[in-house]
Amino acid sequence: MKALLAAEVYKLSRQGKTYYALAAIFLIEVIVLFSAYFQGSSIIDILLGNLKQSFYFEGTLLNGNLLIYLILNTLWFNLPLILMIIISGTLTSEYKDRTLQTIMLQPVSKWQFILSKYVVAIIFTVLVVFFMALTSFVLSYSIFGNGDLIVYIDTLNFFEPKEAFFRLLWAFASGTISMVFFSVTSLTLAVIFKEATKTWIIAAFFLILSNLLLKFDFGNAWVNRLFFAKLNDTWQYFFYFEINWNQILLNSALLVGYTIIFMGFGIYLFNKKDIG
Amino acid sequence: MKRTLISLCKTPNNRFFVQTLIALFYMLNIQSLSAQDIDSNLLKIKRRMDSIEEFSAQIRLDLDVSFINMPAKNAEMHYIKGKPVDFSSDDFVLIPKRGLDFTLNEIFKYSFFTVNRGMEEKNSILCKVINVIPTDKKADFAIATLIMDTVKNRIIETEITTKKDGSYTLLMQYEKPISVLPYMVEVNFEMERIKIPLNYMAKDVEIDKKKLSSEDLKTGKIFLQISDYKIRFMEDN
Repeated sequence: MKALLAAEVYKLSRQGKTYYALAAIFLIEVIVLFSAYFQGSSIIDILLGNLKQSFYFEGTLLNGNLLIYLILNTLWFNLPLILMIIISGTLTSEYKDRTLQTIMLQPVSKWQFILSKYVVAIIFTVLVVFFMALTSFVLSYSIFGNGDLIVYIDTLNFFEPKEAFFRLLWAFASGTISMVFFSVTSLTLAVIFKEATKTWIIAAFFLILSNLLLKFDFGNAWVNRLFFAKLNDTWQYFFYFEINWNQILLNSALLVGYTIIFMGFGIYLFNKKDIG
Repeated sequence: MKRTLISLCKTPNNRFFVQTLIALFYMLNIQSLSAQDIDSNLLKIKRRMDSIEEFSAQIRLDLDVSFINMPAKNAEMHYIKGKPVDFSSDDFVLIPKRGLDFTLNEIFKYSFFTVNRGMEEKNSILCKVINVIPTDKKADFAIATLIMDTVKNRIIETEITTKKDGSYTLLMQYEKPISVLPYMVEVNFEMERIKIPLNYMAKDVEIDKKKLSSEDLKTGKIFLQISDYKIRFMEDN
């Protein structure tokens, strides 16, 4: 198993598209950061518009913390899209290049092979989110400084810099679970569809559908709470004034559960299906 | 009357006469207002407040508005007579537009008269209640109710109805019997509920239209804790 994992890490690190993807993520982050800076002042104006009548404002809210929060809002769509392309590509390229048949001629069990792909996909996703978080914090704080974070969720919430930093860190951690879910799903889709273009289209469709269903009211409280699409914005729970840890833990546990189910389904299918 | 005055003003000597007459009329008018229509206790308080040339203080603001969650904030407040109060802070602070006029400058700025409303007990102190009604159109308040501690010569509570920004009340507590300025102030004010476009909602929220429309106008409170007063009185000059 260790050798399989090492081989998967080697393959991922040797393929050029991994670095293109990382560069794309970084570029998107920089673009989002600067567009968020210009968008930020209008957002603050809208949020504080009604308060102008009663209050004077001292200090600025257009700072690194607000920009990281805006990056989080935007990147949770862009990032899984790129992740899904790279991760599903690790299997579809093996189907395309027929290297899979070569590997299967070796004394390697099918389930161990696909499990190692899933494990490497999860590690890679965690590292990418860590890279994204690190660059977001460094870029935002060094260029736009620190300060209070303003967020509107039911109420207008203000967080002091230390508190904001802590909540943003937790939001990245929570978002990582979502990203892992999408990565694992894309690999399962690759097992089903085998062909790269088909897999990418279905993966993108799955991501778009998940985003649409996030705001969709199913008319049933249980479905609204437990359906996987509804769990992908758990990171936002860190920006309620009082953090509902129980809800976050439940949502995270459910999402981990869905990830395991999707992964188990992928392993089962890969074992059952013919390689060719 | 107007025509007579205009015809009188046609020659320089007459114009001087008319101007002197108008000046005398105003002086008598203000004198009579001061002597008869302004409460004597308020005049004592006004004199005390007028003696403050400048002050600075540390201020802790604690906002209590149902739709705003904000931790308590610290700021430095600086007042110079005749100028708007200045604030500085390292944090982002919401500073109420009303209620920080501890020296009651806004009330005393333009001419006014007072109406005695009797006595009322506040925190076991028998206080005098008066209405302050401005006589100058430039005043931005329509009426103010002041509750005064006539023994310690200071204001305990004010309710001010402004011409444009609704009404607000100030409840003031003082640290020592000789204190001129309060160390605790509770400002109650009216404000509009925040209306955020849907695309700026961070999370999917259920919108109750009836609830929203019934809650257009909300009352808010801000608690101010003031410390480290550095006051410069007129006599210090």
